[in-house]
Amino acid sequence: MARAAPTIALFPEASFGAALNCVGIAQMLRDRGARPVFICHPGFTGLFADYGFAEHHLPAAGGSKADTWQDFVRRHLPHFNLSPAEQLDTYVAPTWQAIVDTAIDAEEGLGDLLARLKPDAVVLDNVIMFPALANSGIPWVRVVSCAETELPDPDVPPYLSGLAADDPSRASFEAHYLQAVAPAHQRFNRFRTECGLPSLPAGEFLEPSPWLNLLLTPAIVKRERANPLDPEKFVYLEGCVRSEGPFDPPEFPSGEGPLVYLGFGSLGASDVDLIERMLSVFATFPARFVVNVGGFREAYRAVPDNVYLDGWFPQPSVVAQCDLFIHHGGNNSFCEALHFGVPSLIMPYCWDGHDNAQRAVEAGVGLRLDRSSWKPGQLVSTMKSLLDDDAMRQRLRANAARMAQTPGTARAADCVLALLSR
Amino acid sequence: MQTVRKRPRSNHLDLAQRILEAVRRGGFRSGDRLPEQQIATLCSVSRTPVRAALQLLADQGVVHREKTSGFTLAVDPSGATGAVSELPPAEESRLAESILRDRAARRLDDTVTASALSRRYQTDKRTVLKSLKILEAENWIEKAPGQSWLFQAAQDGPEAAAESYDFRLMLEPAALTAPGFKADEAQATALRLGMEALLASPESGFDVREFQRLDMAFHAMIAQGAANRFVGQSLEDHLRLRRLPGMLHGVNVFRLKQSTREHLAILDQIEAGQFEAAADLMRLHLRLSRSQRPQAASRGAPVLPATAQAIRGRR
Repeated sequence: MARAAPTIALFPEASFGAALNCVGIAQMLRDRGARPVFICHPGFTGLFADYGFAEHHLPAAGGSKADTWQDFVRRHLPHFNLSPAEQLDTYVAPTWQAIVDTAIDAEEGLGDLLARLKPDAVVLDNVIMFPALANSGIPWVRVVSCAETELPDPDVPPYLSGLAADDPSRASFEAHYLQAVAPAHQRFNRFRTECGLPSLPAGEFLEPSPWLNLLLTPAIVKRERANPLDPEKFVYLEGCVRSEGPFDPPEFPSGEGPLVYLGFGSLGASDVDLIERMLSVFATFPARFVVNVGGFREAYRAVPDNVYLDGWFPQPSVVAQCDLFIHHGGNNSFCEALHFGVPSLIMPYCWDGHDNAQRAVEAGVGLRLDRSSWKPGQLVSTMKSLLDDDAMRQRLRANAARMAQTPGTARAADCVLALLSR
Repeated sequence: MQTVRKRPRSNHLDLAQRILEAVRRGGFRSGDRLPEQQIATLCSVSRTPVRAALQLLADQGVVHREKTSGFTLAVDPSGATGAVSELPPAEESRLAESILRDRAARRLDDTVTASALSRRYQTDKRTVLKSLKILEAENWIEKAPGQSWLFQAAQDGPEAAAESYDFRLMLEPAALTAPGFKADEAQATALRLGMEALLASPESGFDVREFQRLDMAFHAMIAQGAANRFVGQSLEDHLRLRRLPGMLHGVNVFRLKQSTREHLAILDQIEAGQFEAAADLMRLHLRLSRSQRPQAASRGAPVLPATAQAIRGRR
């Protein structure tokens, strides 16, 4: 009897970055004859089905999600203008508490789901361990879809710091981080103990997988480590860009010249004031701008003639055609810019966006602009210098050609399937 | 079915130009068939003036007329301007299209005046008023008190799109099941061929505009086939709103192909006279097409569902 296609359960956290990263891997698994299925937050209903994948939802936590999301944005929008160190107490610590909640809330439902699905392997694209998964005995793969700072090393800058590796303030940031996240970390370790798992070292919420770990980090921005990662268990993917529908550039009433894409992620899109300030500068700049405004399209009026807004774009297909990508440093966005050889203007607002902004400057693949203190002249000169930097463009294009030879999605799928035959 | 039409245009020259504009916008190509009913729907007129206008285009060599299969497009419509140089200039049609494009892109507010549009598009007020009349005839805009014109509600937000699907879920199955439903057989055949060709194309070369054209024509055919004139007319008026630029952003090729297969399954049932089954499949098709993608989702943040009210106009 022919062996049934292996079932690979992809389990991304409830964020677009991880979700769409997993879509890319799932597309390649499907091409190779496997049966990818998704375990997801109920709020993601339909997202994976639209790409042709079965969805299995975890039970929803209580409460009105819409109101909670509004509260979240109102509470945290001002924090996005703070420095990475200032965000530790205001944004990072409460976010870790929320992430710990997701692991606790999912425990019972996840255990039942895994018992029912009986996947051959689970691909976990998250920043926290789910004890039900660790205790299931099913081989699991960790996807490090944040910047590689997520895996600590003495020669790698501290996670979420936006610092250079040798920055003199490194030690104080690390101490501050451990102190800020300690309550969430202690709570999580207590939960792990209750579930029969060992505690994790201070500041860590997810252990490396004993089977396989996949890092998105492309070689052009990869860091040298004091303690190199075991290449048998840690594989660098050179990005992980999904296949998307085509993008037909819109017709603009006026404006010619380069195509610039602005996308700050769905949470970053909540800063309508920032984007409106940028639109007023775009109106004076000789380029065409495609702007992702997420769920806030109706908040905009009198959009400039060289600007086109929408709530969703097939982002990889847009980036493939643009000359400059203005983004928040989300790792998917950064990897897409590198994949297509497009310079990045990074305006980070939280999390590893700070780390990617720092690394983009160090590696000569983009520039950083502070999202709260920029002046119109600065935005204009930064966009102009990136659009005019032929040396950077040539370097990026050569790198994109190298990345295209080993697509991260294909490498991820091959590694996951190889794991099954061990 | 009796056709209830508003303000049919009597000037065949003008209608011929509008037909060219419509086929250009609809992505028709040289060699494509031009079903009279479909063209009539696209131009919001009845079939009689369409036939006369198509004949006029045939005289100009822009379309061919075959005795058995009707009219086909003989030229690339985007390059047809030279071929119809004897037709009156379609400045007002082009302006109407620009107004729609800029409205869809939120460059124009809910209300506009002819004077403001005249300044914006640097054209005379008479042409602007003609353009507004075209848009009025197509139910995109209506005259408000005073000098203002008011745009109809557009499907340009997640809540509006959800309401649109709710509306269609009520009426499209009803159009199919009201006794007397009859689809245009020639159009159904043309649609089937078009959809099968689209499904045969590779994912990398999938023609989204062709999908949109076939999708619009398929649902318009359901509305036109309704025996209940009010159901049919309400649907036709509503479905026209989906023509706005940018309506298909965010839909990936997998779903578009799946949607095309659903169209074909509905067509199978229609052609077999199984209208209840066709209506059931239509309900399923519309439910699956209604995107439930969350509006916002980020690490540690609650998910914002597809149809929840976001923070809008808060300043």
